[in-house]
Amino acid sequence: MTAGPAPGRGAAAAAGLIERFAEAFTAAVPADPADDGFFGPASVTWRVSADLSAPVAGLRSLMMQALHPLAMAGVDQHSAWRLDPAGRLAATSGYTATVTYGDRASAARAAARVRAIHEHVRGVDAVTGRRYAASDPALLLWVHAALVDSALAACALFGTPLASADADRYVAEMAVQAELLGVPRDGIPDSQAALRRYLDQVRPVLRRTPAAAESMGYLLRLPGPDEEIAGLWHDIAGAAIASLPRWARREYGWQAPPGLDPVTPQGRTQVRQALGVLDAVFLAEPGVLEARQRLELRRRAAGRA
Amino acid sequence: MTAAGGPAGRRSPGLRVRRGLAALRLAARGGARYARGAPRLFAAAGEHRQRLRNDLALRTAEDVAATLGTMKGVLMKLGQMASYVDEGLSPAVRRTLGRLTDSVPPMSADLAAQVVAEELGMPPERAFATWDPEPIAAASIGQVHRAITRDGRAAAVKVQYPGIAETIEADLGNVALLRRMLKITAPAQDVDALLAELRDRVTEELDYRREARSQQFFADYYAGHPTIHVPGIIGELSARRVVTSELADGVRFAELAGWPQAERDLAGETIYRFVFRSLYGAHAFNGDPHPGNYLFHGGGRVTFLDFGLVKHFTAEEMAPLAAMARHLCVDCDPEAFRGAMERAGFLVPGAPVPTDAVVEHMALFYDTVRERGPRTMTGEYATAVTRRFFDFRSPLAAYARIPRSYVILQRINLGVFALLGELSATADWRGIAEEIWPFVQGPPCTPMGEAEAAWRDARAAPAQA
Repeated sequence: MTAGPAPGRGAAAAAGLIERFAEAFTAAVPADPADDGFFGPASVTWRVSADLSAPVAGLRSLMMQALHPLAMAGVDQHSAWRLDPAGRLAATSGYTATVTYGDRASAARAAARVRAIHEHVRGVDAVTGRRYAASDPALLLWVHAALVDSALAACALFGTPLASADADRYVAEMAVQAELLGVPRDGIPDSQAALRRYLDQVRPVLRRTPAAAESMGYLLRLPGPDEEIAGLWHDIAGAAIASLPRWARREYGWQAPPGLDPVTPQGRTQVRQALGVLDAVFLAEPGVLEARQRLELRRRAAGRA
Repeated sequence: MTAAGGPAGRRSPGLRVRRGLAALRLAARGGARYARGAPRLFAAAGEHRQRLRNDLALRTAEDVAATLGTMKGVLMKLGQMASYVDEGLSPAVRRTLGRLTDSVPPMSADLAAQVVAEELGMPPERAFATWDPEPIAAASIGQVHRAITRDGRAAAVKVQYPGIAETIEADLGNVALLRRMLKITAPAQDVDALLAELRDRVTEELDYRREARSQQFFADYYAGHPTIHVPGIIGELSARRVVTSELADGVRFAELAGWPQAERDLAGETIYRFVFRSLYGAHAFNGDPHPGNYLFHGGGRVTFLDFGLVKHFTAEEMAPLAAMARHLCVDCDPEAFRGAMERAGFLVPGAPVPTDAVVEHMALFYDTVRERGPRTMTGEYATAVTRRFFDFRSPLAAYARIPRSYVILQRINLGVFALLGELSATADWRGIAEEIWPFVQGPPCTPMGEAEAAWRDARAAPAQA
């Protein structure tokens, strides 16, 4: 077992988590967009992004992504995320929100910034001895697929489940996100079936490296400022674990919490209630309600059109 | 139960409060400050504007569930209750819960009409002679429409969000999560007692028929009163999710700021008389002194609205409260006062705290009624009372309790004094209290007191027409 972070160092790690997420979200939702961006108010992507289950999706996504040794190595060796985990997580979520809700120019600018950062992230993975580069389309595709798969899994278990046709649409819509970061279009899954084929194909590469175990352990025990919020975090992390594929859970050596393996109606309700409380706290951050109302008005306008 | 002062490492109540507050900083940039400034009376205007946005109206029961389900409705209720049990949660949680309230849009006209039809057996256009599909006000779990009854009375019709009762009942079942939330919002309190209180109050509030009965109780009690007006209930147009009362109009609290001080004093006197007359005379307390629940008419006349949170006290519950006021303010008997506190359950019997210290701690709450003569209520006084209430460093803190049946009374300290302070209301509060205290039954000390005495005489005399 690797030692956890020094006590105290991360004491305020999660303190700003909700504030930072809120800042990132409100900044990403434009007041006066030039166009509807790459998705638009009628898209399934907007619906999925606004789903109550989104925090579970986000955490599951990180858990999945970390199982690729080269993706994990890039994060481990180049990102100082442990010094400011809240900032790092909020930046990622802000990027996704900008690409989702921003107009095309904003989304493209944000993607260009990420690509520029990726240029500097390259090296050799200590475990496999393989070279990696964050700009490698294969790695980018994995990160993308893990996110899309996680959003669908979280929605199905703890959110408002999508009709199968809508889930297919979601996978197809999201392809543009991978494309913006430099993945060639023809390799990106555009349906649930294609996504499953891709995941099966990449599966042999995936495993829990020490870096993955250490960072996920840290994430699960993110030092919060208070035990009550830590309790919510624990509930949501438990839901994310329950939503992982069985093999991924085995890889990490995790067990789903009681009532979530399989997810019982009561277990689902309890997770949703914890998500509801978290959402209420998020909603109280400055600008969040207004940003949501901007999106809702655009969704309604699109519904009438 | 383990008492405070257990083995080393057990956290003190004070520390628990600080930790609870630390949690709330998550919800408020700038941090929670314990009892900073006067308890703010939030302006209703912005809230209403937000909530009455039609372009965001809830159009289906699913919209309602998405907005108020998964604990949000319960949290709103919890917040309402927490605001009278614990000022320690102040700015951060208040803001969180205020924002939550703001985040609830009104029902669309169709959805509201559908609820009315389900409850009254016919669409609102048939149940009423005139029905205004635009809501005029937001209520915590519903909204208010204007209508004219078929016999020509102007009415206010409160309509509950559909499905809210079911989602709140389901969410109240998650005791583990609620306990956690209560530890955040009311860190100083007995969580189990609060949870029980929350469940009772919320369950009651979901059934508007209870509110209708409470409002009618107050309307009957104050019938003919010179300055206190409570709109009557129109029973045949009320049901579980719809309550219809006579429509009242008047000036909102915020506008009172522009009125002459003499008018504000009279309004303050009426509110004070209402609160304590209801308590000592009717053994009932309306626990929701939100500034939005008053309409002002000048000359001290006030209409009281919203009786969703009424507590009726038994004679046994009232007796120690009266005894406390009497022993401290009239008999000046500290030991008897302490005894009454212990009987009421406010103080652990035999606590190793000198009676002087008990009196010293408690006297502030009675400060306005200890001596005759005009006194001005101030925001500072309201703040001081609040601070004292939640002063966990006081020697009394470890032995002080708030029995469940009195929890709601803290609204007097936290709500009514703040309201009167906001008005800078001046009166001979002691003189008024003596009129009301059953153990004094003092003579009228103001013109309003004279008028009230006449009302009481008329009421006491059997009607012989």
